[in-house]
Amino acid sequence: MKALVAAALVLFGLPALAQSPQEAKPLEPGREALAIPYEKYTLPNGLEVILSVDRKLPVVSVNVWYHVGAYHEQPGRTGFAHLFEHMMFQGSRNVADDVHISMLEQLGATDLNGTTSFDRTNYFETVPTHHLETALWLESDRMGFLLDAMTPEKLATQKEVVKNERRQGTEAAPYGLAREAAWHALFPLPHPYHGDVIGSMKDLDAATLDDVKDFFRKWYAPSNATLAVVGDFDVAKTKALIEKYFGSLPSHPKPTRPTVAPVKLTKPVVIRHEERIAQLPLLSMQWLTPAYFEQGDATADVLATALGTGKASRLYRRLVLDKQLAQSVDVTQQSQGAQSVFTLNVVARPGVSTDTIQKEVDAVLDDVRKNGITAEEIQRARTRFDTRTLAGLQSIGGFGGKADVLQSYNHFVGEPSYVAQDLTRYETVTPEAVKQFAKETLSPDSRVILHAVPPARKQAPVEPKERR
Amino acid sequence: MRRLITTLVTVSLAGCASQQKPASSETPATPPQATQPTAPADAESFRATKPEPGKPPELVLPSFQKATLDNGLTVLVSTRRELPLVFAGLTFAAGSAQDPAGKQGLADLTYRMLLEGAGSRDTVALDNAFGDLGVSPFQDVAADGAQVGVRVLTRNVDAALGLLSDVTLRPTFAPKAFERRKKQQLADLVRRLGQPTALGQIVFLSAAFGSAHPYGHSAAGMPDTVQALSLEDVQGFYKKHVGPAAAALVMTGDVTLDEAVAFAKKHFGTWKSQATLPAAPPTPKLTNREQVNVVPKPGLDQTVVIMGRPAIAAGNPDEFSLELATTVFGGFFGSRLNMNLREDKGYSYGAGASLDPRLGVGPLTSYASVRSDVTGPAVKEAMGEVSGLKSRPITEKELEAAREGLIRAFPGAFESVEGLGSSASQLFRKRRPMDEFNRTVEGLRTATAADVQRAAEKYLDPATLQIVLVGDPLLIQEQVSPLNLGKLVPVEPDTQPGVTRAGP
Repeated sequence: MKALVAAALVLFGLPALAQSPQEAKPLEPGREALAIPYEKYTLPNGLEVILSVDRKLPVVSVNVWYHVGAYHEQPGRTGFAHLFEHMMFQGSRNVADDVHISMLEQLGATDLNGTTSFDRTNYFETVPTHHLETALWLESDRMGFLLDAMTPEKLATQKEVVKNERRQGTEAAPYGLAREAAWHALFPLPHPYHGDVIGSMKDLDAATLDDVKDFFRKWYAPSNATLAVVGDFDVAKTKALIEKYFGSLPSHPKPTRPTVAPVKLTKPVVIRHEERIAQLPLLSMQWLTPAYFEQGDATADVLATALGTGKASRLYRRLVLDKQLAQSVDVTQQSQGAQSVFTLNVVARPGVSTDTIQKEVDAVLDDVRKNGITAEEIQRARTRFDTRTLAGLQSIGGFGGKADVLQSYNHFVGEPSYVAQDLTRYETVTPEAVKQFAKETLSPDSRVILHAVPPARKQAPVEPKERR
Repeated sequence: MRRLITTLVTVSLAGCASQQKPASSETPATPPQATQPTAPADAESFRATKPEPGKPPELVLPSFQKATLDNGLTVLVSTRRELPLVFAGLTFAAGSAQDPAGKQGLADLTYRMLLEGAGSRDTVALDNAFGDLGVSPFQDVAADGAQVGVRVLTRNVDAALGLLSDVTLRPTFAPKAFERRKKQQLADLVRRLGQPTALGQIVFLSAAFGSAHPYGHSAAGMPDTVQALSLEDVQGFYKKHVGPAAAALVMTGDVTLDEAVAFAKKHFGTWKSQATLPAAPPTPKLTNREQVNVVPKPGLDQTVVIMGRPAIAAGNPDEFSLELATTVFGGFFGSRLNMNLREDKGYSYGAGASLDPRLGVGPLTSYASVRSDVTGPAVKEAMGEVSGLKSRPITEKELEAAREGLIRAFPGAFESVEGLGSSASQLFRKRRPMDEFNRTVEGLRTATAADVQRAAEKYLDPATLQIVLVGDPLLIQEQVSPLNLGKLVPVEPDTQPGVTRAGP
């Protein structure tokens, strides 16, 4: 659930409806609303299927996860998993070139996109109930017969599209290049996280048609995919349709996931970046933290919330309200398969030095290392997670909706209906555990510190002059 | 349509429309290596045809109910019982359109102040009180109004409404909190003015509406106008505009109309104020494009291209015809504009257009970020798609695709209580009837091909579109001048006082 919120993701590029994260109160006793009824089975070719009926509205979500992401890329090919995701929309043996999205749009699909993270690539659409078969047909054709329609021209165009996507999110985005530099420092080569999901211009340019073919043949087999159908559908009929469209797709044994030694930072890395886009200075601190669901991951979530969520959070209170040095704070535990990243961002007020900000942040962190946080803060964080989770189940599909939730738990722990167990993790977080985590994992000696500072002439004056 | 669903007035990257396929020379068939025999081709021949759809389900549209308290407060409800969740929010009819001249940003600052202390609580205590319910309040301030709301578990609704009642009826407006909040607003402006897309939006609004028009500025205002705001201004705006006759309690999800009315009476029944509904903004003067506004950002890797104009108000008879035309032009991913700029040329990650009918005449905007070295060709293609609406009229196939796509997307667009809440809020702000969505579907169904073509040619007339480009001035000069779209004029909404500075 939360991994879906924080994961580094790159989308195929359709608009998402504006979602404002809001949270609420704990669900005990019972947490009945969190139990998602589902059925899971596997076809002979290895395709996993998850079915979950939800008759709230006459719509059904089809959602396919391929268990491959940027983590599985070859050296010199950063950004490839995501570039490949774009190729999946370009047509296949029986689906004409570049009509996949238009076709779905025209029949009233919503929540229609694909996204790539380090751990997986997913494709989804929510369709009116009478178009379920069309969605299954589309998904099965690209799963089985993508390469029949692959051309060098298509690859050349999508490389350009993806490079524009990169410009929009990196070169031309506030702090984009600065954040990328910090990310590189966190995961030095040859770690597969080094390139981030979007990859580098050089590597995107280098991708070939053979790369596309090899990647598809290795990773895009039914044995490495999970199909979820969630919403208002007839189970028996849908099983027959899934058999019809997916049952005969050729496959091979599930490819093995490469293992990579975890990165350890032994001394602080300080990056001073001259910021060309944003006009306010940014101080960012990042640490490597335990992977999703490992011991410490839940503790990190709680601490991130206590430090940075809401006006009463520790960093906001001190830096924004009391000292008025900062404009905003933002703290996240980005939970990922191989290793997570704990990020603390503070945007400074005009003219305030990031070194000053760092001293203040360090004072707050030192206090947590010494005294932990209060039981009250932990309880508040829990209630936020509980409600955010329940609210996330309102949409059957789309980014982070019910189908994604089932898929995500299935991917990471092998059990689709794991919502309540996930939330139980937070009940074991104690003030003492937070203190230990802050001391051992968030050590001052094992972090990347980024100062992204606009040149002096670009920084606004601290006090704008009165207009005459 | 989507505009009613989301509260943010953003230009989306979606599109819809024509099937321009990238030229492809050959399709090498390279079947994947299989470890199991592939079924014989004839057994697989069913794949060659797209499946026939089943029987369409009945179209489920969101329904809203309305009641009014004795003091004039509107109560808007949409019941949805599946999960124990409720969205509860106060919607206010006054927005940034009510900012007095020279005080742009006042509505935004006033509404932000509501959460900087209310009742007996200061900023931190208030945040903790919401936090005890596991809630962070959500705020939006836009041209036609504002909302502050929360999404809570059913059993916390009463407590949450108690806090919202404090926030709405008893804001503290403490001088110290005001000074701090004002500095935050100013710093946030500095941040916005560093973002190419935000800059483009600011310049577009003033180019399209004129900076004196109520819709001619962004809700955040500009550094010098915010700098000039006082606590008295904030208190004055609150007194003039925030009251039961100009507000609605919106409740969606696990709640009925009767329950909502009871809550409203309990928490807002004694609310009294002189505030009245503001008048709709006047129709802006439509002028043909005389210049191209260039916001210089030397060395920027992408150029932000915004084109648009004031178009129509909500309830205008042309609304649904124009919605369909805009969808074909740039509304869906498969639109003419996106299929050309993104999928055919690779100039952009996405190009789109959207219509924003407001209480008054709202904008029609098209948007793309393009690789800077193809700025000229991209602008040329975009303008070509605009004039193409006349030379290559919208086909029946394009129209039916847009019609069916928009209508059938309705149920899937109303899955969350907060989505319903924001739709209810929009209905109140735009003063639309409770059956607006039924009217919308009806309007989309009955718009004729002639209506749609007429709307396309009338509102997407190339001569009337204002153009804003944010990017490298030399590249723009070199590549856009030859297109003869008008004199290139540098415009810098500065972080220094002086809202916009037109250079020589």
